[in-house]
Amino acid sequence: MHNTWLIAKREYLERVRTKGFLLATVLIPCAMGALLFGTSYFMMQTKTTSHIAVVTTDNRLGEALQQRLKNGKHTDMQVDLYQPSDETRATLNSQLHTSKSKIAGYLWIKPPATSGERPVFEYHARSAGDLSTEEAIENVVNIVVSREGLLGRGLSAADVDRITAPVDIDTSSNGNTQVAFAVAYFFFILMYMVIMLYGMNTARSIIEEKGSRVFEVLLATITPDELLAGKILGVGAVGLTQIGIWMAAALAISSTQYASSLMGGGHGPVSLLQAAYFLAYFLFGFILYSSIAAALGAMTNSEQELQQLNMFLVMPLAFCMLMLFQVVRAPDSTLARVVSLIPFCSPLLMNLRTSLTYVAPWEIILSFVLMGLTIVAIVWVSSRIYRVGILMYGKKPNLPEILRWLKYS
Amino acid sequence: MPIVELQKIRKVYDTKVAVEGLSLTIEPGTMFGLLGPNGSGKTSSIRMMIGMTVPDSGTVRLFDKAFDRRSLTRVGYLPEERGLYKKMKVLDQLIFLGQLHSLSEAEARKRSIDWCERLEITEAIEKKTEELSKGMQQKIQFIAALLHEPELIIMDEPFSGLDPVNAQLLMDTLVELRRNGKAILFSTHRMDQVEKLCDAIAIIYRGKMVLSGNMRDVKGRYPRNRVQAVFTGDDSFLKHPSVVESKNYAGIAEITLKSPDLAQALLADAVSHGTHLTRFEVIEPTLEEIFIETVKATPEYAEAGGKVDA
Repeated sequence: MHNTWLIAKREYLERVRTKGFLLATVLIPCAMGALLFGTSYFMMQTKTTSHIAVVTTDNRLGEALQQRLKNGKHTDMQVDLYQPSDETRATLNSQLHTSKSKIAGYLWIKPPATSGERPVFEYHARSAGDLSTEEAIENVVNIVVSREGLLGRGLSAADVDRITAPVDIDTSSNGNTQVAFAVAYFFFILMYMVIMLYGMNTARSIIEEKGSRVFEVLLATITPDELLAGKILGVGAVGLTQIGIWMAAALAISSTQYASSLMGGGHGPVSLLQAAYFLAYFLFGFILYSSIAAALGAMTNSEQELQQLNMFLVMPLAFCMLMLFQVVRAPDSTLARVVSLIPFCSPLLMNLRTSLTYVAPWEIILSFVLMGLTIVAIVWVSSRIYRVGILMYGKKPNLPEILRWLKYS
Repeated sequence: MPIVELQKIRKVYDTKVAVEGLSLTIEPGTMFGLLGPNGSGKTSSIRMMIGMTVPDSGTVRLFDKAFDRRSLTRVGYLPEERGLYKKMKVLDQLIFLGQLHSLSEAEARKRSIDWCERLEITEAIEKKTEELSKGMQQKIQFIAALLHEPELIIMDEPFSGLDPVNAQLLMDTLVELRRNGKAILFSTHRMDQVEKLCDAIAIIYRGKMVLSGNMRDVKGRYPRNRVQAVFTGDDSFLKHPSVVESKNYAGIAEITLKSPDLAQALLADAVSHGTHLTRFEVIEPTLEEIFIETVKATPEYAEAGGKVDA
C-alpha cells in the first residue's frame, strides 16, 4: 500500500509540474469557452440582413411583407417594392447577375387566377446556397398569407393576432427529467473525453517506463500489482485535478450574469444524492477504464501498438451510447436493468437510471461491487501480463500466449 | 548465516529451460561472481533470487529465511538493463528510489547527497537525468542500489559501458562495502574483472552450474602447468619434450607443460641454449581458460554445436 502510494505520488507530482499540464489546464477551457460564448453570441446577433426585391401588384401584401421582413424576430432585411412588368423582370435579372448589385434575390408574386385563392410565389436567388434568406422569406410569406386570408374572411386585426400568436407549453414540471438527461449526456461526454485523454495517459506512462527500463529497479522491491495500481491512481489523480480546476472555473463563470442570461433562467437544482451518485460513479468508471488502459499498456511495447488497441477503450463506451437511448425510453425494463449492471456500463447507465427512476438499493450496491471486482480483476490480470511481458521482452503477445502467461507466477 | 541460499532452482519459459537445478550459497562479507556467457541464465537466476519471478521448483532463501518480499528492503539491485526517469531530477529520483526501500524522505535526501559527493558527481544533483552523460547515469543507478545500505548487493553486469577510471572507482567502492561485511553478488561475462575481485565464483552455462566454489579452491583444482617466458635470442627451448603447446608472440611465449614439475627442466633447457630470459614465470590458469575448458567438457557444449558464445 505504501509503495502504491509512492508510485502514485511520483507520477502525480511529475505530471502536474510539467508545462504541458499548465498549458492544457489554461488553454483548453479558454478555447472551449471562446467557442461556446462565441457561437452563442453570434447566434443571438445573427439576423438575416439580405437585401431583396418584392414584385407584386398587391400593395397591401407587399407592404405587409416588407414590414415583417424588416422588423421580424430573426430578420432585418431591406426590401424594395416593384410593380410587375417585363422591364422590371429584365432589370432584376440583370442585377442578379452583376457583381455590383446588392440584391440577394427577388420574390415575384403572381396574383391568384381566381380571387380568394392564394397568390403564386416565385423566388429567384442570386446564390442557391443562401438558405437563411430563403427560409426567412418562406416563414414571413406563410405568416402574412395566413393573416391576409383571415383578415379577408372578415376577422378583426386583434382577433387575427390572438389566433396567430405562438403557443407556449409549460414544461417546468418536467424540468428534473430534462436536467437528468442533460446531466447524463454531459456526463457521458465528459467521461469519454477524460478516458480518451487520461486513460491513454495511463497506458502511455506504463509504456514509457518500459522504454526507459526503470521498471526493473522498481520491481526489485515492489510487485507489478502495486506498480500498476500506483500508475492508475497517479495518472488518474492528474486527470481529476485538471477536471476539478475546469469544473471550478466553469462554476465561477456560470454564476456570472452573462452566462445565466444565456442559459435562460433556472431549472430545478440537482439533488444532493444525485450529485453523490454522479461523483461515485464517475470515480469508479474512471478507475475502471484506466485499469483497462493499464492492461493495454502492459500488453504493448510502443505507442503504435497501443493505437491499434485503443478500440478496446472506445467500444464499451460506444455500446453505452447505443444503450443510452434504450435506458431513457424505458429505464425500468429488464434490458435497462441488466445492461446497467454491466461494470463497463454502470458508471454511465446506472447513474442515468438513478436520475430517471427509482432504482432499488441492492442494484446500486451490486453495481459498485461488480465494478470494484472488475477493477481488481483487471489489475490482477494485467500485472501478470506485465510481469511476464517485460521479463520476456520482444514481440507483442497473441491471445494464447497471454492466457498461458496468466498461469506463470 | 548464509545471505543467499538457492537450492536446485529451475525455471522454464515455454520450451526454453532458463535455469536448471542451480544451487549456491553466498556468505556475508564475500564478493561472489556469477559467470557465464550471454543467455546462460545469469539474469534469470538473479530475478528468482529477488522474487521478480518465482522458480518452477526449488527454494530460495534470503538472510537465512524462506523468501519473503519484506526481505527485499535489505537487498540492493542494479539490473543489467537499467534506466532512470529521463525528465526527473536526479535528487528527486534518488529520494523516490530510497523511499521505495523504506527510507524516510529526509534520510534518503541526506544519503543521496553524501553518495553523490563520494562518487564525485555532486554537480549532477540538481540536473535532470537526460542532461547527464551515460557514465554519470550509471553512477546514479549505482547509488540508487546502495542508498538503503543493503546487506546484500546484487549487480548485473555493473561495469559494462564504464570507462576504466569510473569502473575502478566503483570496484573500490564495492571492495570497501565487502570489508564492511556486505555480501555482494555480481554477474559478468568479463572474466578478468572477476579474477581480482571475487572470493567465490559460480560458472553457469546453458542454465546449469558447471563450476563453483572458492576462488582459490577453483584455481587450485587446475594444475599450474602454464609458463610465461619473456626472452630474446634462441627459441629452441619451445620445442623441449615437456612442452605440450606453445605460442610465441614476438618474444613473449605462453607455454603449456605436460605436468607442473617439468618447469625446472624447461628453464634449464633454455639457459643451456643461451636464451636470454628477462622473465620465466610459472602461472596458474586464468579464469577465462578454466571457464572455456570447463564449458568445453560439458555435454551441453556439444549440443550447442561447439559454441561458447562468451
